[in-house]
Amino acid sequence: MTRAVRFGALALFAAATAAVAVSAAPPAGPPAGPGGVPELPPYQVRAQMPAGDRLATGRDGKAVFEHVCGYCHLAGGMASNLLTKQMMMMHRPPSDGLLSNRTDLFPAYVKAVVRNGKGAMPAQTRVDITDAELNSVAAYLAKGKK
Amino acid sequence: MKLTLPPRISPQQFDSALQSFASVVGKDWVMSSDADRDAYSDVYAPGSTDQWPAAAAVAPANVDEVRAIVRLANEHKTPLWPVARGKNLGYGAAAPRMAGSVVLDLGRMNKILELDPKLAYTVVEPGVGFFDLHDEIARQNAALWMSVPGNGWGSVLGNALEHGIGYTPYGLHARNLCGLEVVLPEGDLLRTGMGAMANNPAWHLFPMNYGPTWDLAFSQSNLGIVTKAGVWLQPAPETSLSLTWDIPNEEDIAWVIDTVAPLKIAGLIDQNVFIPSWLGKIVVLGQRKDFWDKPSAMPEWRVKELLKEHKLGYWRVEIRLYGDEAVNKAKAEVIKSAFKRHLDAAPFESWWRQGDPKPPMDLAMGTPTAVPLQMSDWVGGRGAHMGFSPVVPATSEHVMGQLKRSRKIIGDHDVDFYASFTIGGRFANNVNMLMYDRDNATQVDNIKHLFNALIDDTAKAGYGEYRTHLGWMDRVMDTFNYNDNALRRFDERIKDALDPNGIIAPGKQGVWPAAYRGQKKEGAQ
Ligand SMILES: Cc1cc2nc3c(=O)[nH]c(=O)nc-3n(C[C@H](O)[C@H](O)[C@H](O)COP(=O)(O)OP(=O)(O)OC[C@H]3O[C@@H](n4cnc5c(N)ncnc54)[C@H](O)[C@@H]3O)c2cc1C
Repeated sequence: MTRAVRFGALALFAAATAAVAVSAAPPAGPPAGPGGVPELPPYQVRAQMPAGDRLATGRDGKAVFEHVCGYCHLAGGMASNLLTKQMMMMHRPPSDGLLSNRTDLFPAYVKAVVRNGKGAMPAQTRVDITDAELNSVAAYLAKGKK
Repeated sequence: MKLTLPPRISPQQFDSALQSFASVVGKDWVMSSDADRDAYSDVYAPGSTDQWPAAAAVAPANVDEVRAIVRLANEHKTPLWPVARGKNLGYGAAAPRMAGSVVLDLGRMNKILELDPKLAYTVVEPGVGFFDLHDEIARQNAALWMSVPGNGWGSVLGNALEHGIGYTPYGLHARNLCGLEVVLPEGDLLRTGMGAMANNPAWHLFPMNYGPTWDLAFSQSNLGIVTKAGVWLQPAPETSLSLTWDIPNEEDIAWVIDTVAPLKIAGLIDQNVFIPSWLGKIVVLGQRKDFWDKPSAMPEWRVKELLKEHKLGYWRVEIRLYGDEAVNKAKAEVIKSAFKRHLDAAPFESWWRQGDPKPPMDLAMGTPTAVPLQMSDWVGGRGAHMGFSPVVPATSEHVMGQLKRSRKIIGDHDVDFYASFTIGGRFANNVNMLMYDRDNATQVDNIKHLFNALIDDTAKAGYGEYRTHLGWMDRVMDTFNYNDNALRRFDERIKDALDPNGIIAPGKQGVWPAAYRGQKKEGAQ
């Protein structure tokens, strides 16, 4: 492998990281308080899990996504970093590294990836995310597509 | 994954066991489809996940449900494998040691029961993840810091019960446990420490029992299911100062250990000092093929080139101090002059003060992150790793000996070398990350041979592992061979006395109940 290619990959990574920062400016975290708990990237201050029966239909897909998938899939999370890099390699906008920005996700695809895993992502159990919750998350990410 | 039944259980018997579990937790929380079994398999398995198959999983919501399931499991002779969040990546994830065990997933029991900033502790259920506790501390603006492992996706209790290690002054996680509630193998309920007295407010504060102390008997253990526990937390410091050195050469680890360990033992350094080799810095920068495009291990000359290109030393030492500014300044002077004796370069210094933003990825500040999981992308494909983790005395003699030994074995197997030493006091914990693509059979086979060689040769030299993957639990237990394996004989006598049906986690850490001792060979590598 040539030096240029090697540097190319690295430059791409650096750009990807910067792109995540720009394209997905984190919303304000909790205020700095006496505990010295200042602002953190969104993936470290996720939405709370919505209350109520985890098996019931009609869960809040966005909130479940942020709580359950947010560790990795909010801005700055490990999956956002990897996906941003992959998107750029495919000449797609780096902002597509965030699943919530994607317009090409279908519910069936989201469900298959969550239950089977993909690349660095392990399969998720039904305790991690129930079928009802997954339906809501898939609908949220698919933005109305069936 | 197809169904593997527990030993000596017919499909009908298994079915009625699952139905009885469903009558306790509801049918949706008994998970027994092929897809469920896959989700509870070892997602980083070296080779096929069929080596450690769960038959099903069941997820109780509270301690009463746990007790009911344990009683039913005894009745139906279906062994249970408890996990907290089951993210034990590199050591078997949620998968059980014995084929056909039912995973008892405690992930739904995720309440933070107490958070006390004054006495600096929390009481949590096993399903509480590092992120959950971190979020709650932030929400309450509590003046508390956590200690977290490199993979922040797991459970506060699960990690501590597995003897997990973090990089703050509270980094020996099992040591932070204080006062446990435990469901025993026949369904009885025990509270340890002062909790043995009803309503005693010192339950999670005083670390011993009246009489023998049992808390850690339930860690890396199959003697019970922990349903809640006290965990001590670090009071948020006024300031924190980090001193970072890149240490140029491999052999320099000798003086580094002899410099850091005495300061740690003397209490001048509070934290567990993590010293990773260079590859730890490179793995998050891209994929292996971006740096070395041959299947063979990266040669010495290429390593040298990369270190130069990226301005890295062979090792990186980051020492973090916590407390009042004046105290941290004074400590820093002592540490810097100790390093100065061996290295001219001044450290990179970075202060944090209350109210400053916390660097989001600094494990030594106890902020959970899953970003290190990116490491699995290094080899590409379905990347994974196992950790070979022996413990050695914290002196240059022992550390160099171990470094040379494992380096040679890893080199002989043509695998990239990525080691770290964590100085936790009088010992150094040496984790060797062995990375592989799960779908590359030759690579997986080689890693398994390598793992056996590492365990055997390291034991011959007199050292043992602190923790290991499912497939090697027996082999490592065998290395603790003093007096005809007195430890295992003792563990198994207790196991048989408390768990006559062998229901809880048979084979965990190489401890087999009489009922299943015949299964020992299965799944062992
Ligand atoms: C990139 C990477 C970096 C990592 N870095 C670290 C690190 O720095 N330090 C470290 O320690 N680990 C590290 N790990 C390993 C592992 O991922 C973590 O230790 C993780 O926290 C373990 O998963 P968990 O917390 O979900 O525990 P679980 O998988 O839930 O539990 C682990 C084991 O503890 C026992 N157990 C759990 N709950 C109970 C209970 N209630 N009652 C009885 N027994 C129980 C069971 O035997 C179980 O198998 C790393 C992994 C990766 C992939």
